[in-house]
Amino acid sequence: MTADSYNTVLPNGIRLTFIPAAKFKTISMALFIHQELSAEKATLTALLPSVLERGSRLYPDNLALRRALEELYGAELSTDVHKKGERHLISCSLEMIHGKHVGENGQMLRRGLSILGGLMGDPLVVDGGFKDSYVAQEKEQLANLIRGLINDKALYAVERCLQNMCARERYGVFKYGQIADLEKISPVSLWRYYREILSANPAELYIVGDLDASRVEEAARETVHFHRGPQGDGLPETEVYFEPSEARFVEERLPVEQAKLVMGYRTNIAYRDPLYIALLVYNGILGSFPHSKLFLNVREKAGLAYYVYSRLERHKGILLISAGIDGSKYEKVRQIIEQQVEAMARGQISDVELENTRRGLINQLRAGEDNPYQFINRQLDSEIGGKLYTTDEMIRGIEEIGPGEIKAAAEKVRLDTVYLLQGGERTVPHGH
Amino acid sequence: MATKNCHSVREFSELQESLFCYEIYPGMPLYVLPKPGYQKKYAIFAAHFGSIDNRFRVDGTGEEVAVPEGVAHFLEHKLFEDERGNVFDRFAAHGASSNAFTSFTYTGYLFSTTDHFPECLELLLDFVQEPYFTEETVRKEQGIIGQEIRMYEDNPEWRVFFDLLQSLYHRHPVREDIAGTVESIARITPELLYQCYRRFYHPGNMALFVAGDLDPEQVRRQVDENIARRNYRELGEIIRLYPDEPETVARQRISREMVVSEPLFNLGFKDPALTRLEGDALLRRESAMEIMLDIIFAPSEPLFNELYEDTLIDDRFTAGYTAEPSYGFVLIGGETRDPGTLYERIMEAIARARREGFSAEQFERHRRNRLGSFMRRFNSLEFVANNYLAYRFRGSDLFNYPAILHQITLEEVQSLLEEVLVPERHAVSVILPQKS
Repeated sequence: MTADSYNTVLPNGIRLTFIPAAKFKTISMALFIHQELSAEKATLTALLPSVLERGSRLYPDNLALRRALEELYGAELSTDVHKKGERHLISCSLEMIHGKHVGENGQMLRRGLSILGGLMGDPLVVDGGFKDSYVAQEKEQLANLIRGLINDKALYAVERCLQNMCARERYGVFKYGQIADLEKISPVSLWRYYREILSANPAELYIVGDLDASRVEEAARETVHFHRGPQGDGLPETEVYFEPSEARFVEERLPVEQAKLVMGYRTNIAYRDPLYIALLVYNGILGSFPHSKLFLNVREKAGLAYYVYSRLERHKGILLISAGIDGSKYEKVRQIIEQQVEAMARGQISDVELENTRRGLINQLRAGEDNPYQFINRQLDSEIGGKLYTTDEMIRGIEEIGPGEIKAAAEKVRLDTVYLLQGGERTVPHGH
Repeated sequence: MATKNCHSVREFSELQESLFCYEIYPGMPLYVLPKPGYQKKYAIFAAHFGSIDNRFRVDGTGEEVAVPEGVAHFLEHKLFEDERGNVFDRFAAHGASSNAFTSFTYTGYLFSTTDHFPECLELLLDFVQEPYFTEETVRKEQGIIGQEIRMYEDNPEWRVFFDLLQSLYHRHPVREDIAGTVESIARITPELLYQCYRRFYHPGNMALFVAGDLDPEQVRRQVDENIARRNYRELGEIIRLYPDEPETVARQRISREMVVSEPLFNLGFKDPALTRLEGDALLRRESAMEIMLDIIFAPSEPLFNELYEDTLIDDRFTAGYTAEPSYGFVLIGGETRDPGTLYERIMEAIARARREGFSAEQFERHRRNRLGSFMRRFNSLEFVANNYLAYRFRGSDLFNYPAILHQITLEEVQSLLEEVLVPERHAVSVILPQKS
């Protein structure tokens, strides 16, 4: 980060990162609890944020909680689960207007933090478990969310590609878990599970805003003070290295107007590997910008798609190419895409492509510092990826990358799975 | 050419924000929002030409022109290309990212960059003012936009929304998809694009908003020079023609099957007052309407919690209001396992609210909530810029919002409930899971 960040560990072992930023109108805060991503635990982990959001000891129901947020001038609370590599995270974040803009300077931080700390650390517990009705309702909501994946066809196709590609890896687990597991979860078992991870798993608190570091630390100590036990041994690492023998092809059909093509590649490059920055540049030249090879050749030259792009699952070393296409043109589109990937592997990169991509990536990095949550997300990526890149280091790295390193990264990229969602009679299994 | 330097500064003192306003000859407003400490700089250059502007009168001859649905959006796509290729690449050479969008009422061209801002601004001003359409590029774009239309056809939220608009409106073009249809865009030609371009892409019908750590005077000088060298004449009046739209809805109920896991439900109320309002009166109506909807439907009120506990809604359930000078409607909805029951419960809640009225406590709480939420959004350059222009084209000023919010009364909010949420002017649109 170019901005100075202030790091400390709270008495209960939660790491606190404070990023002072006078330019924002808000105070933003987020608490993350880490867990390993696994088929056995995913549904339990996924159920937690929404159950926690239903009520804490201090605000035992949604009505009380929502009104407290409104009193904080419309503070925005959100809880969710995230999948970063084979790490599963529970998050709770809160954004509110800085007190200086509403005549309450110095008052808001502590009030916001105590809501956040209370929801995560002091939940509503009845008879040794979460409240029955909350758990029952949130199970039904989660089941709907899992079934609802199919409503967004582009997202659905990406998820199905990853599920097929990583069927034997933990990464193949859906971040919201699966419906079949819900039945076994009771209010008591869920609370016990939460108590365990709350006590022993890595957790971080991030705060961004125009604040004084010592005040932030003091407020965090007093509000995010729930008891935690000895820390566990750390969570297992994400598996990144795979050499697929030959590409698999998976086709499913749904009665849709537009076919979705998703091609999954193994890059064999981890976040902390020396070639990681070369991989970022590789992905930029290939497909993450409108000046990239994919957009230029599939859309602008051939007119075969409205959207076509590549993106990195940076903690898993997977690169995905997605396109919405006319199903009858699948062969043609796939051929053009593979030609672009082959051109990359042969090192066919023009100076203009390289320079535009460098500038585009640097622009994204700098602009990210104008958004509190992008700040937080980058810190979190460093934490999970096991390597801290400051913005300046990253920019220097991008400036120094040459065609040789990009070619070295390109040569490690292997096509693993091609997924096509075609129009037609449904062949997709129900419950997906 | 001399420039009228109509310079003023709008202050938002609670947020310590100042907006510099200029008028660039002939008649184009320029707004600059300095954002000290921000690395990103953002600019949006917009034409007051949206998907609903497909009938208009040509100045002088008085001839009426009707163009196919989707022209504004098609034009947006095509301005990105000229004889030298696509414009994205030229922004990319500066590390900037560029994009554009078309709404019902306007078209915006934008970029953001952390470096080379003057070069990027010049590029933006140039490409939007230099159209280049050929038979060949139009044909290619028909394929690309055809895929865009199909993508939206598979999007259940988009479908349920446009089905609702088709039910609320008999004739108003807001009922048509912004991108048009595969058939309507097949009728688009280079000549048609040039005709619309000449009509609507004149500085007098455009506006520019720039935000970032910038010197307003320097921006003004650059824009001035760019516009001045094109020798525009004053713009005559643009007469947009909208069909006479009855106050009634076109139909009460529509449903369609798609590949979805659960039904999607949209309930709309048509606001017939909207053909009579513009400027700050429109902004005031919108602000009051939002508070009215919050008091009934917000997650901090009983109805939301009852529906949630009965698993009739999820946390994405919303109620909102859209207001433009020629149309307006309330939209309430989300996913539900049981559209019929949800509909009854909402209509009962509206009837109950009408009987029981609102409390001063509710009113003040939601007003404070709206003000704080609005202020928070000033972290985002894009939010301020895009919304400022959207309101500008309606004749209102977004910076008046806090003052207007302050003026609104509880009685005003209650009377809107009586006036707008009436059973005679509602329609329901539902998407049902496809049986297989």
